[in-house]
Amino acid sequence: MTATLDRSRKNLQQKAIAKFIAKKVIPPIVAIAIFALVWQLLVMAGILNLPSPTTVIEETWDPYIINPFFDNGGTDKGLALQIFASLGRVAIGFSLSAIVGITLGILIGSNEFVYNAVDPIFQVLRTVPPLAWLPLSLAALQQSNPSAIFVIFITAIWPIIINTTVGVQQLPQDYRNVARVLKLRGSKYFFKILFPATVPYIFTGLRIGIGLSWLAIVAAEMLVGGVGIGFFIWDAYNSSLLSQIIIALLYVGVVGLLLDRIVAFIASKVVPEEQR
Amino acid sequence: MSVFVEVDHVDRIFTLPDGNTYTALKNIELKIKQGEFISLIGHSGCGKSTLLNIIAGLDRASRGGVILEGRQVKEPGPDRMVVFQNYSLLPWMTVYENISLAVDEVYKNQTKAERRSTVEHHIDLVGLRQARDKRPSELSGGMKQRVAIARALAIRPKLLLLDEPFGALDALTRGGLQEQLMKICEESHVTCVMVTHDVDEALLLSDRIVMLTNGPEAQIGQILDVSIPRPRQRMEVVNHPSYYALRNELIYFLNQQKRIKQRKAKQHVVIAGNGLEKVNLEIGFIPLTDCAPLVVAKEKGFFAKHGLTDVTLSREPSWKEIAKGVGTGRLDAAQMVAGMPLAMTLGAGGKTPVPIVSALTLSRNGNAITLSKKFFEQGVKTLADLKAAIAADSDTVHTLGMVHPASMHNLLLRYWLASGGIHPDEDVSLTVIPPPQMVANLRAGNIDGYCVGEPWNSRAVYEELGFVIATDLDLWAGHPEKVLGVREEWANQYPQTHVALVKALLEACDYCDDRRNREEILELLCRPEYVGSEPAYTRPGFLDPYNRGDGSAPQQLLHFNQFHVDKANYRDRTDLLWILTQLARWGLIPFPKNWVEVLDRVSRTDVFGIAARELGFMDIGHDPQPIKLFDGKILYPDRPIDYLNSLEIKHQIRIEEIAIDPIVASV
Repeated sequence: MTATLDRSRKNLQQKAIAKFIAKKVIPPIVAIAIFALVWQLLVMAGILNLPSPTTVIEETWDPYIINPFFDNGGTDKGLALQIFASLGRVAIGFSLSAIVGITLGILIGSNEFVYNAVDPIFQVLRTVPPLAWLPLSLAALQQSNPSAIFVIFITAIWPIIINTTVGVQQLPQDYRNVARVLKLRGSKYFFKILFPATVPYIFTGLRIGIGLSWLAIVAAEMLVGGVGIGFFIWDAYNSSLLSQIIIALLYVGVVGLLLDRIVAFIASKVVPEEQR
Repeated sequence: MSVFVEVDHVDRIFTLPDGNTYTALKNIELKIKQGEFISLIGHSGCGKSTLLNIIAGLDRASRGGVILEGRQVKEPGPDRMVVFQNYSLLPWMTVYENISLAVDEVYKNQTKAERRSTVEHHIDLVGLRQARDKRPSELSGGMKQRVAIARALAIRPKLLLLDEPFGALDALTRGGLQEQLMKICEESHVTCVMVTHDVDEALLLSDRIVMLTNGPEAQIGQILDVSIPRPRQRMEVVNHPSYYALRNELIYFLNQQKRIKQRKAKQHVVIAGNGLEKVNLEIGFIPLTDCAPLVVAKEKGFFAKHGLTDVTLSREPSWKEIAKGVGTGRLDAAQMVAGMPLAMTLGAGGKTPVPIVSALTLSRNGNAITLSKKFFEQGVKTLADLKAAIAADSDTVHTLGMVHPASMHNLLLRYWLASGGIHPDEDVSLTVIPPPQMVANLRAGNIDGYCVGEPWNSRAVYEELGFVIATDLDLWAGHPEKVLGVREEWANQYPQTHVALVKALLEACDYCDDRRNREEILELLCRPEYVGSEPAYTRPGFLDPYNRGDGSAPQQLLHFNQFHVDKANYRDRTDLLWILTQLARWGLIPFPKNWVEVLDRVSRTDVFGIAARELGFMDIGHDPQPIKLFDGKILYPDRPIDYLNSLEIKHQIRIEEIAIDPIVASV
């Protein structure tokens, strides 16, 4: 009896997995295959002046695909190392912008006067494209690496500030009433009510911010040079190594997706279900 | 007991975004005693929650204020803890943390261990030990509400405010939580104010129920005392004799408010047609056998025949509501007790006078005096026996029920008692009870007897709760009983409609007195939308021999319900004069020096005359003739003062000129 039950449960599980593969895995693979095929055909027909998928793999197989960690000194490093370098900059810039952004956001959100004063300024600044900040930061900081980090910082901070501000302003009346009835004040109010209630909004800001940071870092690195995936692409372009560019783009996309998912995953663990 | 919370003439005016203002609450005045449980009930949007928030201090009154123990409420505080409608638990905290957040804040000077034990105690109190470390998202609605209640109770508020606490819960959970709340409140003597829209919940939990009228400018419409003893059990309160009376009163209030809302939406539609000024009439009646003419006029098409094509019969819970309904214009017309038009016109009992006219007597006789079976067992057979029984038991207050101060029940009962030497205000206590609630009150022992119309005497006999000691045929055969009453202003505004109404009812009365139709009428009366009574105790008097329940053989009383024969429908001036003398005798009104004018104003014999002539009926009544009751005293139609003087038991008689408002010109 138990055995049959077990078997039937196993059967059910297998069915569920099969269903998942059929619905979620096979279609994208098919799409990619068609995309690659069309690309291959277009190149073979001479319409597209790019390396074909097979050429890309051929040219980058050694060392870029099979050995992402090689290090020949200088900027001649494996793709993983290049990406780590970029991620390092993002980590510093993004962390700074998260700390500053959340703090400012809470301050602005809880004070209507400050909000009215600075909101127009933020609305203007947030539309400035990330790279437009680069010359200014290079001029001010005189060094390429801190300038790139500053670009990350200034790109990611706006969505964080704005979302945090909204979160504070949208604090549900229910929670506010609880705080009023219990006469919660000062740091207790902040840590027990205001901050936890704002967390979902903060995470929305962080998620937009990390996406923008990753966008900005590639562009910034192209200009400031040094080790990093952005400069790698620029370098490859200068050497007309189109296959390297294509494989690097693939890496950039995958890493960007991973970053977004990591923030979303943390949010799902931190934010209680009722607030989502 | 002293006042604990005082809501002092509170207004709440909101400023709307477009610059206009909306007055949600107007002049709310409420005093709450310590330990009392108050419910606020009303339709949605009536401002109940606003009022609760003002008491909590979450909202401020635009005018007036709230005083708690002598101090004005200016801001919210933990002494007035609120249980919010949507629980308002903090989703990022566990059950324990949610409660301890409140406890830690309020009991700052206690040790950690003390606070911890308070929290744990209250978790146990609401039975959430299993869920102690769960977050709100893992709890069911009922569990969340228990957390909210535990959080509120843990800080020992002076006043517990509950905003529809059980609104979102299923019936089973709600019942369980209500009992828990009731137990906790009784144990810890918390004063509570609860907003609810659930009538049974309010009755179960409250000491007093405050009913709010519709917004805008919501006011306290009525306050109901729930005198059901505590401790109460959810399954048992419904068996308390006054439960359904209270429930009816609540439901009636709410329905009335709903109708007002609907009518406001319709805005006093007057539909003219068929050569009449108004064909849509709302006519009030009380479930009694003698509402038969109204029922017959509606069901047998007499209203429609005379052009009144849209008549609604509105079943009212008490004569008080009938008076209010006609006075405020909610009802176009109503079946009234015979003295009501006079009492309302003269402002009896200190009320604002509302001139009422009456053109038709709808029925005569039909009442009886029922006494509790316990008197019968003591051997009471006559009025003299009753006097002896009351005198022998002078420690007990004997209470008798009647339906309205201006009704013939009251006047005849008093006359009957007084003729036997029993002073109706000193030797016994008379109390007003709506007819359908008489039997329940007799069963509960709240009253020892009553005077009421059928079928409520026969029902007591049928259920062996009482016996009929006298019918009104024994006292004054052919007295006016129910009359048609409309506002004088209404009669002047819609003269053709008034005549049509009288014609329809006059024909219906004629139909009712043809005994061949009585079976059919009985079936109509017993329908739930009219009297809704069992035929078994509706038949006696109306169709079958009348059983007094005293062991004597049932008697066929042909004039027991007299609707038409013997010129029954005419509004005799002397009848009215007798009523006037009795109202004055018992101090309800001063006797009007201008009684001739008063009688002329109230009885519209002109309208009756037109109606009767158009139908081909005799339009004259009796010649003015003396009225002689069972005790032999005679009222001569022109000598009321002599009559009053000849009566022995009476109040101090005042004789005054009573000015009635000038006749309202037709619009």
